[in-house]
Amino acid sequence: MNLALTDPFILAQDYPEALTGKLRSGHATCLRFNRRGDFLASGRVDGTIVIFDIETSGVARKLRGHTRQIQSLSWSRDGRHLLSSSQDSKCILWDLSDGTRVRIVRFEAPVYIAELHPYNHLLFVASLFEDQPMLVDISGTVPVKRQLPTAPRRLRMEGEDINEKQAAQDAKQSTCVTIFTSLGNHIIAGTSKGWLNIIETQSCAIIHSTRLCAGVVIFLRLTTSGRHMVCNASDRVIRTIHVPDLSKIDLNIDDINVEVEHKFQDVVNRLSWNHVAFSSTGEYVCATTYMNHDIYVWERGHGSLVKILEGPKEELGVVEWHPHRPFVSACGLETGRVYLWSIVTPQRWSALAPDFAEVEENVEYIEREDEFDIHPIEEIHKRRLDLEDEAVDVLTIEPAKSEFEEESFSMPVLLDVGDSESEEEIVAVGPGTMRRKSPGEGREWMNGAGSGESGEEQGIAKRSATNGTKKSQPKMRKR
Amino acid sequence: MPATRFSKRRRISSPVKEEPPAYNSSPDELAASSDHEKYHSQRAPSKPLREGRGRKRSCADICSANSTAVASEDSHSELAGPPRASEETPNVLITAAASGEDSPDELDHTTPTFFRRPFRASFSKESRRPHEKFTSQSPSPPPYSRLSSPIATPRTPPVRPPRYEPYKEKMVLKGHRKGVAAVRFSPDGLLVASCSADATIRIWETATGKHLHTLEGHLAGISTIAWSPDGKTLASGSDDKSIRLWDVSTGKAHPHLLLSHSSYIYALSFSPRGNMLASGSYDEALFLWDVRTTRLMRSLPAHSDPIGGVDFVRDGTLIVSCAGDGLIRVWDTATGQCLRTLVHEDNAAVTGVRFSPNGKFVLAWTLDGCVRLWNYVEGRCVKTYQGHTNSKYSIGGAFGVYGGEDGVEQRACVVSGSEDGSILCWDVQSKEILQIIQGHQGVVLGVDTLNQEGLIASGGVDKTVRVWEREREREGAGDSGDAVDAAISTLKVDEQEADGMA
Repeated sequence: MNLALTDPFILAQDYPEALTGKLRSGHATCLRFNRRGDFLASGRVDGTIVIFDIETSGVARKLRGHTRQIQSLSWSRDGRHLLSSSQDSKCILWDLSDGTRVRIVRFEAPVYIAELHPYNHLLFVASLFEDQPMLVDISGTVPVKRQLPTAPRRLRMEGEDINEKQAAQDAKQSTCVTIFTSLGNHIIAGTSKGWLNIIETQSCAIIHSTRLCAGVVIFLRLTTSGRHMVCNASDRVIRTIHVPDLSKIDLNIDDINVEVEHKFQDVVNRLSWNHVAFSSTGEYVCATTYMNHDIYVWERGHGSLVKILEGPKEELGVVEWHPHRPFVSACGLETGRVYLWSIVTPQRWSALAPDFAEVEENVEYIEREDEFDIHPIEEIHKRRLDLEDEAVDVLTIEPAKSEFEEESFSMPVLLDVGDSESEEEIVAVGPGTMRRKSPGEGREWMNGAGSGESGEEQGIAKRSATNGTKKSQPKMRKR
Repeated sequence: MPATRFSKRRRISSPVKEEPPAYNSSPDELAASSDHEKYHSQRAPSKPLREGRGRKRSCADICSANSTAVASEDSHSELAGPPRASEETPNVLITAAASGEDSPDELDHTTPTFFRRPFRASFSKESRRPHEKFTSQSPSPPPYSRLSSPIATPRTPPVRPPRYEPYKEKMVLKGHRKGVAAVRFSPDGLLVASCSADATIRIWETATGKHLHTLEGHLAGISTIAWSPDGKTLASGSDDKSIRLWDVSTGKAHPHLLLSHSSYIYALSFSPRGNMLASGSYDEALFLWDVRTTRLMRSLPAHSDPIGGVDFVRDGTLIVSCAGDGLIRVWDTATGQCLRTLVHEDNAAVTGVRFSPNGKFVLAWTLDGCVRLWNYVEGRCVKTYQGHTNSKYSIGGAFGVYGGEDGVEQRACVVSGSEDGSILCWDVQSKEILQIIQGHQGVVLGVDTLNQEGLIASGGVDKTVRVWEREREREGAGDSGDAVDAAISTLKVDEQEADGMA
């Protein structure tokens, strides 16, 4: 509802300008916004998942259950469920209404990336380390895993002898990334030999394959509309790709054409890209680079570089763009901090005083004819009251343009500080007063995953203690 | 504190020199009013804090005019029962030392690009703006027109104007030992919370009036309460400078207080998602808190006089605040910047604000005895509701609705307390007084509505909380049928009967 009052020039800004904030809770390695854009989930090295509230920049919830680094996060459409995958070969589906684990799925190998079906939070696809990707149905208590093919589907016209050779090669390649298309009827998979496979979810059969490049396909991500895809590959080129419309009824699988739209690369330095993300509308592509502190932002329409976001003094890993706003978050590889870039809005001074107006250049004031006429106060009052005859509607709520009104899930606000402190073991108890969290507090979250609390957190606590951070007696504020 | 140009001007023009700019009304009114003497006798000049206490629905005014100091001592002696009370005392002292936010002198900030119009002159003469002139000449809408622009399809049956069903007393809830400053229905409507100058909050069941909990822990009178949107938490702001969060189901206080204000807390509001709390204080600062961590998130350099009210808009993107300097400011929640300032030419102190249910208007209570409805986007006052008395206290109110059954249009009304002990209902559109609800003895300070149930809760200096319910005349609603045909047929029957009788 603030749109009517916001400066239109600010609203016209599409991409962020400057580093505006940072979030910290442990060493974050992966990030993901929910669809509504009010929460940012971050996965940590120690296997803890921290959900930040974007509005307050505070921790909304911590989820403990993994024992190794988190590899990927995926929100359900309504924002109630979160799927996490980790190097400990597990995928966990969390219910954020109470922080419980709905399903735990174990695999034979560490998980690269797991992604939820866009409409069914009990179906996900996971690509595994040196193993075949899996489509996992977790609607029952026992997960049903279906293996997905990796070997690309080739056209028949090629000679027999080549086919044999290729078959041997194909057997060696593995799938590195799998994502669902926007409707969830198809899965797009990228392989270690640079192939892109389109797999039908229903039949688990490859219906189309294209070779994008010679290197490994590291990462794939669709825009919100699902019409475009960005691909990061180990040949140091970012490709944006037109995704063919696979929902047509008369779809002929031989006509599917995966078309590369743009290639973004650093021709001079041959930088390789750590991670890429689409902007909210898909108009821009941003990427973090290897051994570099900046985030590159390209415009997809012309394929031109529009902005280099100056970052902190550290290399950045995963980068994510907010689903509606010009707001980018990325995590630093060294410290694991989450950095935020957005637009800096200056205060409009005319908003503070209603008798001021902001003008571009000086204007000569023209006095109205009756401006200094003297009328009795009563008459002015009466006239003013008589003028108040317009129709006002204080009740009718305009239907919101966004689709999020219907999704009524809202995460409960936890008041228990033990579960939701923003810094690690240090809890603010008042202005400038900190205390150390009493040992063992919040341990009930750890059930089963004893080693999740790494020494790092305690290290921080110790450090701050030796730094002479004020800490009052733990018991003082209890109860 | 730096004074804004408003207050500077006011001070020059004001006939009374020692009068602080805080809550003065227009000079002519001051001079004319017979209780001018009383007005001054109640203030303690050169003690601005005390004075504000007198103006507001705090202990001082509620119990008696001269017991400002007694109030806190009272609470110490009477309410020292829970051991918490003594335990918290050091914290209170710590924050007392911390100084409040200085509000920068925004109005003195001039840049070459600014074009300044004569403030007071133009503002007073500008009552008639071009488009208002236009609307005044155009035929005024029929009194029973739909509030919204009607999407008139010939098929729909004519929307009949609703009949206002007056409120009558349902119950009187007694228990508070001093005046009740604010009353709020819980979001689900099952509970009523009331806070009082006796430093307690009481939770009542709406349906039966049963007293469920007494929340004790504050060291001084409580001026404001706010329910979290999930209805599980209640926030309270007190004259002991602290904000407490309470678990309503158990009646226990949250272990961490929200301490940063350097003076009395006057206004609280939860964000619609429940993750933020806005607080306005006598120290002229508007604070935004992260509810989860009880951390001070943002402080808005809001006003140059004590803040009377704060409210969040439906979707949480805007905050409105008002203060004794006569300004109503609309803030962007995300950036903390002021987006709009509303000021009425009389500059009367604004003691309460609320967004309309659809978030498009702001309703503000001022000490010149008016309740004004502002279109905050265009920055102008669209309605003025008068008829109650309000010159001293910060009285509360809310939006109500009536009508809304099948075939009857739903209309909004404004419900407000009054210093003469009555509660007034105005029709939002016509500004007519629909009902004057009598019952309270003395000032009615807190009023809240529960629209789906047709209830009003009110609290006043007579230490009672009263719940009023709408008189529903069932048979009256029955014979005004829904469909046009039915209406016509009954009409015919009536005619025949009438003929027969004749």
